[in-house]
Amino acid sequence: MLDNKEHILWSLFLEGDKNAFSAIFKMYYSSLYNYGIKICGNTHLVEDVLQSFFINLFENRKRIGEVSNVKGYIFISYRRALFAYLKKESIFTEIKNDIHNRSNFEISPEEIHINQDFSSAQKETISKILNTLAPREREVIYLKYYSELETNEISNIMDISYQSVLNTLQKAFTKLRKEVENAVLTAILKK
Amino acid sequence: MQENKQHLLENLLNDTSFKNWVYKKNRNDIAFWNNWIANNAEYIDTIYAARDIVIGIRFNKSELSEDLINDKLDNVIQKINKNTESTIDNGATSKKKIKLIYATSVLLSGIILFFAANFFTATSEVIHKTGFGEIIDLKLPDGTTVVLNGNSELKYNKDNSRDVVLNGEAYFKVKSKPSTKAKFWVTTQDLKVEVFGTHFNVNTRNKKTDVLLDEGSISLLLENGKSTKMQPGEIVTYSKDNDTIVHNKVNSNIKYTHWIDGTYIFNNVTLLEVMQYIENAYGIASEFKNPNTKNIVITGGIPNENLTICIMALEKASGVTIQKQNNKLLIIEN
Repeated sequence: MLDNKEHILWSLFLEGDKNAFSAIFKMYYSSLYNYGIKICGNTHLVEDVLQSFFINLFENRKRIGEVSNVKGYIFISYRRALFAYLKKESIFTEIKNDIHNRSNFEISPEEIHINQDFSSAQKETISKILNTLAPREREVIYLKYYSELETNEISNIMDISYQSVLNTLQKAFTKLRKEVENAVLTAILKK
Repeated sequence: MQENKQHLLENLLNDTSFKNWVYKKNRNDIAFWNNWIANNAEYIDTIYAARDIVIGIRFNKSELSEDLINDKLDNVIQKINKNTESTIDNGATSKKKIKLIYATSVLLSGIILFFAANFFTATSEVIHKTGFGEIIDLKLPDGTTVVLNGNSELKYNKDNSRDVVLNGEAYFKVKSKPSTKAKFWVTTQDLKVEVFGTHFNVNTRNKKTDVLLDEGSISLLLENGKSTKMQPGEIVTYSKDNDTIVHNKVNSNIKYTHWIDGTYIFNNVTLLEVMQYIENAYGIASEFKNPNTKNIVITGGIPNENLTICIMALEKASGVTIQKQNNKLLIIEN
């Protein structure tokens, strides 16, 4: 149902309906903003990129091909726009070869949700373990559970195979299982 | 074996019954998977991995404030509008340029005339106009709030915002002035509403005026010279063209349309009339593929913030399919 609503909005937007465009804007602005901050950590830069991203999206809407998943499409093109901008501004000059080493995707203890009866020390353990993963692996975790994207969308967005998204998830949880006591894990795992 | 496990993991993640087992939702699924695990102990790692991936990690999400997002949206819309204007300018041929110069001179003389008129009469008219599908909240200088529906116009003199002329539909929350007992007036083509301080809706569409009173009390001065008093919860429909007045108490048996706080309320209204209402507010006409669907009667609230959501709610309420085609709404029997 929600998916259907998204597609109606999308086709109205493609026809140039500004109300539909505004609805899409409001639907995704927050999560794209947060994702951008995770990638480069610079609020002004993220706001600038988001502004030109949405203007371009509207102005080039006639050139957009068939889109099967609206959210996935928006994340892919936004990520591309952000990295293109970062490259142009050569913020990454010193490590051109691997842009991802610079993107932090650090996960802070405050971001981990634990029921009130668990102390903050345990949130720190979880975030510490997540932060031992490679940045790209943390990005997978972030997109899956923070941005709530499907596995195949994540593979499109990050341009990696479906299989390697699954491997990353598996690897992350094996690590978590091993290092956190079972009790804490049950607490941070939903429900 | 390893390949089998990968394959199993993929299948588990896409299996609703497995998800039910994870969330302990369905007794049959729980029994099935418990039994499956007991018989396939070699896959226990994969089962647990799949369970962890399904459950995942919970994050505290930080949402930006609505105000901030709206500000950013305004900036983007402004830039888009500006860009469209400049493309039109760039494409202007010499003929268009001449027109532009002519238009500018007309505009200039218009401005001069405007100032001249202003100078002599020392009054000015304030006009609020909405486009199709646009709803605006207004605060008038006297403190009265007005929600102006799409495709509507509200006019008043700058010096007296308590005497307004309405064409279209608006909801009024009139601020009462007990000290001076100053009245508030709404004039339409059919009648004048006399108000002390109250909440009511006025709709002038389709060659008649509907007034629905929510709170307080008002008098209507009809175009034919007669007047009638209204009590809260009443609806009056009057048309000067055929000089008929219908005065009813709003209840679930009668037919009426109302809108307030982002919702249209339809009571015993046929789909044909609802689609007429949608056309007035959003400027998009409807075509009934199966004429019998015109008589479907709708009762209930329909969110009106945005046409798409409005249409989805209507589909649900009436049990038809509504498709948008070439700037027309096509209504199809399910």
